[in-house]
Amino acid sequence: MLDRFGEAISVVLGALALAYLVYEIDRRKRRLRDLFHVLGSEEADISGELLSMVESGELQPYSREARA
Amino acid sequence: MARAAPKSPKPATLPESSITQPGLVPIEKNGEPSAASRFRIFIVDSGWNSAARRVLHENFALIRDLQREDPIYVLSRERSIEFMRRHGSRIGRDPIIAVHDMQALEKGGTAGFHGFRLSLGLLHTPEQALLGLQAFARFLVTHRNSADLEADIRAGLRREGLTGAIEIVMQHEAREIGM
Repeated sequence: MLDRFGEAISVVLGALALAYLVYEIDRRKRRLRDLFHVLGSEEADISGELLSMVESGELQPYSREARA
Repeated sequence: MARAAPKSPKPATLPESSITQPGLVPIEKNGEPSAASRFRIFIVDSGWNSAARRVLHENFALIRDLQREDPIYVLSRERSIEFMRRHGSRIGRDPIIAVHDMQALEKGGTAGFHGFRLSLGLLHTPEQALLGLQAFARFLVTHRNSADLEADIRAGLRREGLTGAIEIVMQHEAREIGM
């Protein structure tokens, strides 16, 4: 009886540990994605805006001479 | 937590307002971007009084020197604020460094993969921000000639995920053995 109870506790604890691991990996992945990620179709409008600023001449590339 | 500066201090090395004026000196040939630049780098910074902003400003000259093949476009504070007002979900994530991969843009426009971005403002300590900026600069330099930049980035992110998993397990083990 006690053995079975011990086994059940082990299984539950193991499952909890696994769930925590999955949760933590997912949390870190989301954080990393927030921090650094690819630009895709979701950012198309933002990228389009930046591109049009460059094409219209509103934005000029930085140059050392311009700072002087 | 980052606090809003009541008045933005004049940046020491990132002269934002001066570089968005029309009619600037064209970029010089020696060591500056050419028509064949792989990347276009954009910096959006609305001016939060944050560690990330200070780190970016203090290291901007070095970033410029490391990335001299690619043009860097710095949006002025006013333009960045306007930008953030239009894209509200990005507020608090700036300074944001967005990099357009011109090779990908020429192939498929903005509909598919066309670059990558670093939301530096999410890093709250100067150490984290500096490490993030250094990793970003390293990535740009080492992947300039990449044939498939998207695959490289996704592989890197998967690797980070795996490293993270190992780290979690190691931390757990360390706690278990009382380190």
